[in-house]
Amino acid sequence: MSPTADTYRFDHEHLLEIDGLHRLDIEFLLNLADDYAEATRRGDRPHESLKNKTVVNLFFENSTRTMSSFEIAAKRLGADVINMPVAHSSVKKGETLIDTAMTLNAMKPDVLVIRHSASGGVKLLSRKVDCAVINAGDGQHEHPTQGLLDVLTIRRAKSRIEGLKVLICGDILHSRVARSTTLALHLLGAEVHLCGPRTLLPNHAEDWGAAATHTDFDAALPGCDVVMMLRLQLERMDGAYLPSRREYFRYYGLTADRLALANDDAIVMHPGPMNRGIEIESAIADGERSVITEQVEMGVAVREAVLHTLAGASS
Amino acid sequence: MTQMAILNARILDPASSTDETGGLIVADGVIVDFGPHIKSAPDGAEAIDANGLCLAPGLVDLRVKTGEPGEEHRETLASASRAAVAGGVTSMVVMPDTNPVIDDVAVVEFITRRAADTALNRIYPAGALTNGLEGSAMAEIGLMQESGAVFFTNGDQALADASTMRRAMTYAASRDAVVASRPAELSLSGGMMNSGAFAARMGLSGLPADAEWIALARDLTLAETTGCALIVDLISTGRSLEMVSQARQRGARVGVTAAAYSFFFNELDVGDYLTYCKVQPPFRSEDERQALIAGLKSGEIDAVVSAHDPQPPEAKRVPYAEAAFGAAGLETTLAAMLALFHDGRLSLLEALKPLTSGPADLIDLPQGRLAAGAPADFMLFDPGAPWLCQREDLRSRSTNSPFDGRRLEGLVMQTWVGGKSVFKR
Repeated sequence: MSPTADTYRFDHEHLLEIDGLHRLDIEFLLNLADDYAEATRRGDRPHESLKNKTVVNLFFENSTRTMSSFEIAAKRLGADVINMPVAHSSVKKGETLIDTAMTLNAMKPDVLVIRHSASGGVKLLSRKVDCAVINAGDGQHEHPTQGLLDVLTIRRAKSRIEGLKVLICGDILHSRVARSTTLALHLLGAEVHLCGPRTLLPNHAEDWGAAATHTDFDAALPGCDVVMMLRLQLERMDGAYLPSRREYFRYYGLTADRLALANDDAIVMHPGPMNRGIEIESAIADGERSVITEQVEMGVAVREAVLHTLAGASS
Repeated sequence: MTQMAILNARILDPASSTDETGGLIVADGVIVDFGPHIKSAPDGAEAIDANGLCLAPGLVDLRVKTGEPGEEHRETLASASRAAVAGGVTSMVVMPDTNPVIDDVAVVEFITRRAADTALNRIYPAGALTNGLEGSAMAEIGLMQESGAVFFTNGDQALADASTMRRAMTYAASRDAVVASRPAELSLSGGMMNSGAFAARMGLSGLPADAEWIALARDLTLAETTGCALIVDLISTGRSLEMVSQARQRGARVGVTAAAYSFFFNELDVGDYLTYCKVQPPFRSEDERQALIAGLKSGEIDAVVSAHDPQPPEAKRVPYAEAAFGAAGLETTLAAMLALFHDGRLSLLEALKPLTSGPADLIDLPQGRLAAGAPADFMLFDPGAPWLCQREDLRSRSTNSPFDGRRLEGLVMQTWVGGKSVFKR
């Protein structure tokens, strides 16, 4: 039975991490997101499910893409949206994280969407406020809506998750996306493989559901249904964790030759923003097997589903 | 097919523990056969009568510095190779401390090409572990390895930052690259000679053995945790061998080298402020020299290197404290080891192994042994031939040898690389 709003109660106050969610929780959110995606494609809008609700985007770390995605999702549901890019405001004036949260809480929002550069920062805030909190990325910990949108994109492209071989390649160590996506895919029965230079691979990745870690990209590709490339942060390159961009591209860049090693119908994903020519060749990023723009579209749908679910739950 | 046979030789091959009278046949640069059954040359082959001289694999030297590129007045690849083949060295690894530093593919390819064009023996570049040997940013280990760099090291620039070392070794491990590190804690490396009573009396600041142990403890720990193959480059004390032995028991992949001079000299040889004896690691105490010889005997030391470091007169004809470190060594490595044979400390095979198959195995080279299919790199030598080492007779462009004026035994009579005679005395 696939859970829907009629048959399933999503029993979480916040969405802080994929870790701790039930398989049915994820399927419920995916099903709802699928409905929203279809509604948007049909042009059915605006919806009114969050009318008179207030959503605050509280971003302690700059992010145009994720904040816009949450803003659009909330507005499609009819919510009032306040964007607070605090990376440059009150925090700089010396206010503590908790004071900022208490101040906002006093304004009685319905949902707080929070990004913070410290792992665990969002969870800390969620304990101090009365409204629902959505983690929009905390440090190197989790980015649950990204994990959900990745899974939704794959499910729509492949019509299933169970049994798929998914390879995530890049800076796994510092990636909250890799953690959330791996956890979600594993919960739904995919076989997740992680690949990167040893300096960028975590120890004990099997604890979050990875089947294996690899340092040889070419050897890991055969049999893959999904190849997901991660963004390489510029500060990780040039000698700190890796020798150079060109050496990285040589061994871990996704090229047409490499993609040919995966299954013929393998799809290519990337959470964006891409470093073309470093982790992915332009022809592949723009090619017919790329679902990268679909990921962005599903991002809005997933965030609509999460906002709907949590705003409803807290009211 | 060009064929050659060497007959009537005492064949010494440490890799196969061979020590017997016989012959060896070469075709097209490769050893075809050897052993006591070879008593005559095949039809059409050139025959060389060894007259009972010793025939052994050419030396594989894992630590040679030249001045090319950048300081060609010290030494070029060509001049180093002339000294090398006179000392029986048929393969050598050149260190990345050049100008420019061997830290990218272009310099690796430059060394390989210049060696092929100008040198008499086989030359392999070691790549820098960090860019510019500056100790901060990891160099292009993978790409340099593909271009022919045989291992990666920060050379004589101690890599002080443990985090950089850990990441570099982690990265190297995943590319199956070997890292070499000379253990020397930077903050304890300001001295001039072995720390001790003699240094105190001479008024020279000391290089304590602690500096070696502290850095070695870090490197061995990282070899264990990262799984990276590590060459401990130039140990100078017995305690270092104990530390390596423990790390090996815990599963670390560790090879050990020591300089030939460390088995021949002790700190007293610095004598009257002899700048040719100013080296790093320094000549240690007699107890340490004895401990190192025991390490050779037990096989704990895998490779003995020349640590050839040519320095021009202007760097050595100055007060001891101001002189550059480094000793020329390519032509005296074999004799230094044969001294241990003549003293009854090692058999000939034991003396030759850390010069041939021992180092070759650390970097997976096929040479360093007499075996069918192996490159025809070997030498004929007379282990007992007496000679006086004189600076002016050395072939190296810089002649800063601590053996200058020493009476030695053991001379290379002829050397072949790839079946081609490259040196004949």
